[in-house]
Amino acid sequence: MSCEMSHYQLPLYFDGELDRAGSREFEQHLGNCHECQQALARLEELRGRLRDDSFRFHAPNALRQKLQDELASARTPQKQRLDTRAWMALAASWLIAVLVGGGASALWHRHQGSERQQASGQIARDLFASHWRALAAVSPVDVVSTDRHTVKPWFAGKVAESPIVDDFAAQGFPLVGGRIDYVGDTRVPTLVYRHGKHLIDVFVFPQPLPASLPATTRQQGYEIRTTRLGDGYAAVVTDMDEVELGKFMHLLGGVR
Amino acid sequence: MASTNQQGVVGELAVAHLDAAYNLARWLLGNEADATDAVQDAFVRALRSAHTYAGDNAKAWWLAIVRNCCFSRLEVRRRDLRLVAIDQVAAEHGEDAAQRLLPRTEVDDVEYRAAAAQESAKLHHQLRRLPAEFREVLVLREIEELSYREIAEALGIPIGTVMSRLARGREKLAQALATNGDRHGART
Repeated sequence: MSCEMSHYQLPLYFDGELDRAGSREFEQHLGNCHECQQALARLEELRGRLRDDSFRFHAPNALRQKLQDELASARTPQKQRLDTRAWMALAASWLIAVLVGGGASALWHRHQGSERQQASGQIARDLFASHWRALAAVSPVDVVSTDRHTVKPWFAGKVAESPIVDDFAAQGFPLVGGRIDYVGDTRVPTLVYRHGKHLIDVFVFPQPLPASLPATTRQQGYEIRTTRLGDGYAAVVTDMDEVELGKFMHLLGGVR
Repeated sequence: MASTNQQGVVGELAVAHLDAAYNLARWLLGNEADATDAVQDAFVRALRSAHTYAGDNAKAWWLAIVRNCCFSRLEVRRRDLRLVAIDQVAAEHGEDAAQRLLPRTEVDDVEYRAAAAQESAKLHHQLRRLPAEFREVLVLREIEELSYREIAEALGIPIGTVMSRLARGREKLAQALATNGDRHGART
């Protein structure tokens, strides 16, 4: 394991985001790498100091009491004795909060404008990052299935449009399950397939991907391919070889 | 339309994670009065949008609302010119000028003095000074112990961005400490 890899792996290990095998593998590396040992010690020191009691502000009792009272009155509607003026004030403050919130988030997004200049580059980075995170995680999926009839309903209510779910187990690409990832600030349903030891993420988009995102993007042995998927669009991320990936893309192309 | 039952479920989960909500608001807004108000706003909003809660991660869903209310308040504050970009002020007019702009309450001063008596005072100070985007991931990960996925959900950003902000936030904080309070060192 190269140390560059470890700089990526170290925070995952430190934050408990690696599975057991990944942790063991990293610990083997750690035993021989002085640089990583020092970096880990620094992370631990910082965390130790941040977990000091003085860094966690506790909600004032008055606030807790107030929310509990509000909750109690929300539960028993007949007890809601707010007069019209209070309701109007509440509604007005809420409206202002929403309007201002919109402004604030617009500002926040503008603030992040520099991060978004290369929209397609950012999408590619998000896709690769989600895929690598899934590879390192305890489970690459949030809903486990070999049956598309349990995967599709899981997405309902979580994303605007549930993706078309097909299982290609017969062709050697069994459906593992699904999860939801963020790409930019959009929640994207992700179908996960397996081929041998390779994991294949299929990110499903209802809208076309930016034209500037090429049909094929490669990075560190991983590859993004874009394609049509039924009426929608998909980005496939995997480290399978070209021939196998070609077969898989062909299967996706046949989805109706 | 949120049913009373859904409101009850959502209200309970909000109260269950009240300390986490308050702590995030307190770190984002810098004082008790604003943090309390923001959490109250968030609670009203959570009850009203109870029907949109799809049963995902409850804590992340609730913290996302709290965070939006905090940024709403920051925006109001910015318009009031009580607070401009605090880092910019610090860079241009020095740390003391920036500190004077940070809203303070009596309680805050007491807390600050109490903290100042400890070795952690400097770190407290540096975390307050960190840009909000790094401060919030550090608070959620190191203090609230949320997973990457929960943070991504609460902030509405990709996990890759959570990881890169966390890495840069830790780096900035470590640098700030290493340079022994030198504000220019903290900003590179």
